[in-house]
Amino acid sequence: MKSHSTLRHDIGWALAALLVLSLLPLLTQSRVTLDFVIRLAAFGIFASSLNILVGYGGMVSFGHAMFFGSGAYVFGLLMQKTQVSIPVAILGAIAFSGLLGLLIGAICVRLKEIYFSFLTLAFQMLIHSVILSWTSLTGGDQGLMGGIPRPPFLGINLSDHTTLYWFSCALGVVCLLLMRIILQSPFGATLRMVRDSSERAAFLGIDVWRIKLYAFILSSCMASIGGVLMALFVSGAFPDFGYWTMSGDAIFMIMMGGLHVFIGPVVGAGLLLLFNDIITRTTEYHGLALGLVVLLFALGFKRGITDFSLELLQKINRKGGKT
Amino acid sequence: MNSKDTKVLASPKRRLLIQSAASIAGVSSLGFPAISLAQNKPIRVGMPTILSGRVAMLGQSSGNAANMEVERFNASGGFGGRKIELIIRDSKGQPQEAARVARELVTSDGCEILIDAEASSGAFAVHEVARDLGVLVIHTCSETSSLTADPKLRTPMAFRCARQGVHDAIIGGAYAAKVAKEKNLRRWMTCSPDYAYGRDTTAEFAEYLKFFNKDVELVGEAWPKLFQADYSEVITRLLQVNPQAIYSCLWGGDLTSFIDQSNIYALFSGKQFFSVNAADYAVLTNVKNVPLGLHSGNRYLQSFPNTPANTNWSSSYQGKFKDLPLNWAWQNAAAVQFLTAAIKKAKSTDGKKIAQALEGLSIDSPFGANGKLTLRADDHTLVDYALAWGELSGKEPFMKSPVPGSWKQITELEAEWKKRKGFA
Amino acid sequence: MGTGLIVGSLLFLVAAGLTLIFGVLGVVNFAHGTFYMLGAYLALTAYRLTGNFAMAVLAAGIGVGLFGFLFERFLMRRVYKADVLMQLLVCYAVVLIMDDVVKIVWGAEFLSMGMPESFQAPPFFIAGGVVPVFYVYLIAAAMLIALALWGILTFSRMGKIIRAAAQNPTMTSALGINTSLIYAAVFAFGGVLAGLAGGLAAPVRSMSPGMGFSILIESFIVTVIGGMGSVSGALVGALLIGLIRSFGTIGFPLFVEGLMFLAMVLILILRPNGLLGKESRA
Repeated sequence: MKSHSTLRHDIGWALAALLVLSLLPLLTQSRVTLDFVIRLAAFGIFASSLNILVGYGGMVSFGHAMFFGSGAYVFGLLMQKTQVSIPVAILGAIAFSGLLGLLIGAICVRLKEIYFSFLTLAFQMLIHSVILSWTSLTGGDQGLMGGIPRPPFLGINLSDHTTLYWFSCALGVVCLLLMRIILQSPFGATLRMVRDSSERAAFLGIDVWRIKLYAFILSSCMASIGGVLMALFVSGAFPDFGYWTMSGDAIFMIMMGGLHVFIGPVVGAGLLLLFNDIITRTTEYHGLALGLVVLLFALGFKRGITDFSLELLQKINRKGGKT
Repeated sequence: MNSKDTKVLASPKRRLLIQSAASIAGVSSLGFPAISLAQNKPIRVGMPTILSGRVAMLGQSSGNAANMEVERFNASGGFGGRKIELIIRDSKGQPQEAARVARELVTSDGCEILIDAEASSGAFAVHEVARDLGVLVIHTCSETSSLTADPKLRTPMAFRCARQGVHDAIIGGAYAAKVAKEKNLRRWMTCSPDYAYGRDTTAEFAEYLKFFNKDVELVGEAWPKLFQADYSEVITRLLQVNPQAIYSCLWGGDLTSFIDQSNIYALFSGKQFFSVNAADYAVLTNVKNVPLGLHSGNRYLQSFPNTPANTNWSSSYQGKFKDLPLNWAWQNAAAVQFLTAAIKKAKSTDGKKIAQALEGLSIDSPFGANGKLTLRADDHTLVDYALAWGELSGKEPFMKSPVPGSWKQITELEAEWKKRKGFA
Repeated sequence: MGTGLIVGSLLFLVAAGLTLIFGVLGVVNFAHGTFYMLGAYLALTAYRLTGNFAMAVLAAGIGVGLFGFLFERFLMRRVYKADVLMQLLVCYAVVLIMDDVVKIVWGAEFLSMGMPESFQAPPFFIAGGVVPVFYVYLIAAAMLIALALWGILTFSRMGKIIRAAAQNPTMTSALGINTSLIYAAVFAFGGVLAGLAGGLAAPVRSMSPGMGFSILIESFIVTVIGGMGSVSGALVGALLIGLIRSFGTIGFPLFVEGLMFLAMVLILILRPNGLLGKESRA
């Protein structure tokens, strides 16, 4: 069956990626490169999780940062205030975000299109207001201060930079693989059907609301893992993590990388981070520079780069192929 | 490296040249370790700051002032011929970007020292990075007391060269209490931005106001949002409650709008307004009508301290940048002055040695209350800077009769404050 | 209570443009805050040059109207057929670019226009409350503009065509009406309204790059509450938000923002088309 071969295919890619990534620290001493990959892991998971909703589910969420933020804050708070180990704190962050996703998703997925988008935005801003106001718990606008403790677990010490790198890569690849497997499964196919035509899906007896809700919960859990990685990287959590500019960043990553190819969001994340880093290094007018780059993608390519490349490949194949 | 030698270079030296060029360009993400070329290697100092958005002035004035001092240092020969190279990067006001930028400055751009010109949330983020990477960091724009007062956050290589909220509160409270006694101001109301700085600063001021004058009563509080554009409902409330005096720690554009809007409501007629951040050139040059009865603490004034050193510094700054220096400017200038003094004292550019030299270091400075500034040994924060409160007018010297604060008083009360907070 | 009217009338002008653009074109103009910001800055410069506030506000309206027209012609026109995310991308790019352009032209520090002499008279005392002279003019001006807008939309030929295009775009173009001209006109209109708002508010604001952010969010809330595409809905929504703001600081100082988003959430759940909205566009 087709899904069988894609599974082996996907696991193969995952192992290959893990191999290449784990060798990287041996090839370069540059901490900046490793930092880049750690951030790429965090944002790659975040953007891919959003694409579950946008690309695969047809639900454009403007508020996805609320789960990125909740992941970071819950993880940070658990580590700062309790004695649990890092894996337990991560599970706690995922569980909380999943619950949040369930509650919010149950309300949001009923709505369509721009109304869904605005509702997710509204919920996110509400949560952001809570983060800002509940100073005694969250530190308010200053975020969680004092750093996030990283006690070693199972012999893994995340205070060591290279170990953090390997951990991020492993977590990143595992999460992406998991998302891939789920999206290639019958559930994924149903989700795409719901995206393409919810009426037809309903006619076929599919509970559209339930499918959308499951997708929402899955994406919120994954987004929170991205938040956890970011919290580990900066050793803190900040209200910015749950602000609409963060949601906007995820949308740009998807748009620039490509909605319809699974790895698109990760490519987009890499692109946006790369542009951001280079522009910040070279000019004071990063708004101008980044704005022009984004315009190039929106008006020039008119789609994400992986979608563009895929279409190009298909055109070439068609020309050179039998038809 | 003599250009004549380039052609005659043996290959290892050529590789060295290319490597250093690559790392200096900063484009190479596979940064080879920067190999020292002994004498002429610049002392790289990284400065994460905010150069865009609402608070862009912070970065601009910080960078300007720091650059001015660095150029002076370099022009006078630097450290045995070695010059300071200041690398300024924009974090856009996002703490996670501040952390990333700080990390990049250290790990990729070869900065051994950080001058952190980030606002408070960014400063906490950079603080963690400096702790993590073990580099010297001097915070120049964060006024949040806990950054240095909280022993949990303290590290041997972190310093704060900026004014502190609690110092301002003690002096401001003492001054305001006196004025309250003189003018019989019993009913007070506060109006400050709703975020950590606004809340903490206002609470501290109110505490010390009551401490120095038991007769005052806080009859109301208003908490507009930071960067809120319209203050009409806040002003209306102030008019309804009708206090005799108002305190605010609004700053910058917010303060200017608030004063402008209050003026058309005639809010200040018959009231005294204590605005800790008003004596700042950004505000004073923008407010069209300075109301009577406006008191402020000096953020930066070229007329206080009224010394040639201070006026000269301000003139140099204006000559170079065609702009009046702001509070952030003097703090960063002082930081560079401390840094260069410590490098000379330690006779080294090693972060640890500089940190040891900085502890308890006193330098001559135009910004000192008595000509000197000190980085206190026990908590690494700036003391002895010129602090004064006074009534403001609409033109130079803006604060005609500054009432200088007493550092003896500050030290006593601050120690007691720390004990209460559990910091001691 | 009166202060709600001040915030509300400015907000209405901005939101009216936003809702009009959505109603006719089906496009959410995420760059609308930038229109407002430009209006404020243009008014500042015009005031510094002419010393006349009315001229300054007019200059702001016309300038931003022109900007809106160019924005539509050269940028938005290309992404009508693309999905909403591409449109968002284009708008956001313009926001980023214009924030820096403003920084380059006017500088990074905040600027203030100051109150024109004619408004420096002492405030009125109406119904036990203090009402500054300037705000009376501001509200009056906003109401006049609103009236003019209503008049244009209801009675003029252009207005009728715009309303028709909002109801049924395909039919309108089938009737041979030049829809691309309509679209350009609507964007220009939106620009004029936002520019006028920026200009009117200039005497009591501090201008700085990026100042368009907050009014954009508030305009979204207003259009959602009032109903996307309904100008009268924008009026109701704006007054409501103004009211929430004025009560919010008294009751829940920490949570005014939260209250507004809560209102938005409630409307989207209970009445997604807004208080006065029409059928949602396909």
